[in-house]
Amino acid sequence: MSDKVIIEIRELVKVYKGSEEPAIKGISLDIFQGEIFGLLGPNGAGKTTTISILCGLFRATKGSARIDGMDIHSNLNEIKKIIGVVPQDVALYPTLTAWENLTFFGNMYGLKGASLKQKIAEGMAVFGLEKHADKKIANCSGGIKRRINLIAGLLHDPKVIFLDEPTVGIDVQSRVVILEYLKELNQKGTTVIYTSHYMEEAERLCTRVAIIDRGRVISMGNPHELVAEHPEFKDLENIFLHLTGKDLRD
Amino acid sequence: MFKFFSACRKESLILIRDMAGLIILFVMPMIMVVILALVQEQGWSSLTKDPSIPVLLVDEDHDTLGAKIQEGLRSSNIFKVYTSLDGINLTREVAKEEIAKGAYNIAVIIPKGSTKIIRHKVQVMVTQIVSGIMMPVDNPFLDIQSNDSINIAVYFDPGIKGTFKYAFMASMKEYSMFIESSMIFDSFNSELKKMFPQYQPPKSDYRETVYFSEIFPAGKDENAVPSTTQHNVPAWALFAMFFIVIPMTGSMIKEREEGSMVRIYTMPVSYLTIFMAKVSVYTMVCIIQFILMVLAGRFVLPLAKIPPLTIGSNYFGILLMMIASSLAALGFAIAVGTIARTHQQAAAFGVVSVVVFTALGGLWVPVYLMPEVMRTIATWSPLNWAHVGFIDLFLRQATLVDILPPLAKLLAFFVVMISIALFYRRINSPLNS
Repeated sequence: MSDKVIIEIRELVKVYKGSEEPAIKGISLDIFQGEIFGLLGPNGAGKTTTISILCGLFRATKGSARIDGMDIHSNLNEIKKIIGVVPQDVALYPTLTAWENLTFFGNMYGLKGASLKQKIAEGMAVFGLEKHADKKIANCSGGIKRRINLIAGLLHDPKVIFLDEPTVGIDVQSRVVILEYLKELNQKGTTVIYTSHYMEEAERLCTRVAIIDRGRVISMGNPHELVAEHPEFKDLENIFLHLTGKDLRD
Repeated sequence: MFKFFSACRKESLILIRDMAGLIILFVMPMIMVVILALVQEQGWSSLTKDPSIPVLLVDEDHDTLGAKIQEGLRSSNIFKVYTSLDGINLTREVAKEEIAKGAYNIAVIIPKGSTKIIRHKVQVMVTQIVSGIMMPVDNPFLDIQSNDSINIAVYFDPGIKGTFKYAFMASMKEYSMFIESSMIFDSFNSELKKMFPQYQPPKSDYRETVYFSEIFPAGKDENAVPSTTQHNVPAWALFAMFFIVIPMTGSMIKEREEGSMVRIYTMPVSYLTIFMAKVSVYTMVCIIQFILMVLAGRFVLPLAKIPPLTIGSNYFGILLMMIASSLAALGFAIAVGTIARTHQQAAAFGVVSVVVFTALGGLWVPVYLMPEVMRTIATWSPLNWAHVGFIDLFLRQATLVDILPPLAKLLAFFVVMISIALFYRRINSPLNS
């Protein structure tokens, strides 16, 4: 992890059309290059909204954000070249094979030819998907779909990766492979911004976490330091419950 | 540019993988064109080739008028004349009953003494004329009056169309006029013979003098009569082409629902590239659809003894017209696919609006038969522009300059539809949500 701020968020506010209550209420934070940064929070806390604004899916109502020094509003096209996005839902074409999907998405990042083939082959090898290359997505299991979904966002070696709950609904084996790979990428210098509901997973993986609730950052820091600061709670999950409460969320 | 080709490849693969969709896209329109052309062509050609419309004829006259009307109906090659049913001669009551219960569509009753009345009337008229020549002053025959008239009753099934009734009554009037003319001719001969015993009447019967022939000055061969295939095939082909709204909107909405569009929004590729790739692939689909339907018109319909479709010789013009029509259809589909939120909305609105465009465009009922207001509205239907363009190319040997107006209108329609889609997307973009 370096001292260089790669993502700078200042007073970010988002109010959806037709809604009076802001989804995020003035979030400010810095994420350093080479971090694995976890955005944690209950349902509706504002995690996905924050990530969606950073990767250009939504426009912020107020505030600013910069990625690698570029403003997300005025330099969106340049930003799109250096970020990788792994959406929460599997965003692949079901009637195309795994290889065809990855070729298409690779092409959209500007990759082609032998280098793209090599990238896809490497990605498939890392996730043990070689024998599924020619299988249509519709015929793949949930775990395989998730892994291909992940590869599609990483083909172009992005500087920053946004992962929105990448391990939801998959078996332990797939989860371990995904998390190991994210660590490996991070060691190569890639910044990983990741949302999750799994506190234990975040505690193990993240260099820092921000706990968000009702559109605000309520706590931020290294997960181990957070646990140390609150000795009355034995782990991050208990701190999270303490901070966000036990009420059920929509 | 390779992003565009990659997106085209992706669209093509998605299309090819969907076999049921391909059958619907290519085979169903062909089947539709063949069936509808068969139904319409055979419906009208039966009027000239195969006498199949049954007519009940009750001849109470048993004289020349009854015989001539029967002969006229039979020789028209349109009607099959029945004077008896199950071996029993028809009566007025039976004929009326058969029509009332819907077993037959038309019955003609020629009343008793009809020929006698005509003959008497003609004789009075001829006598007056001839005696006028012999006795120009104080002609005693001038006061003779014959105001008798004949009422030939025609019963129609209530379901028969007005235009057909009109055509049938016109034919009946034509037969009776011809019979009256023949009788006048015969009576004159007979009176002249009385006046001049040495007069030898001509051996030939009275013949019509005025004939009508169909001439089509826009075609290469003026005597080549265009069949209804020439109207039907391009009409139904365009109708099917505009139904691209269903698969196209389906593809757009599916892409949104599956989330792949969300991923694309986060990639360094413009929406226009993805969008134009879709338009390009579906333009090819529309062109292939149209070519298949034209081939069906040329090679499949003749198997059913229907004249083949002729397409003229301006192949480049036809290609341009196919591209412009496809773009118009796709522009409409993209606008619907962008605005509709669900498959149901897109399908219901798409189908109904294509049917409305088709009806307004004169593809079912010719524009010249429409009321004036509708005729004006018809000129705003893209299907009308396309149909006019193809008819000009197929039948009128139109040049590129001739088809410029419909081409320009179709391309303008495409641009307007795309602009609507882009504007709607801009104001409803997730970025602005």
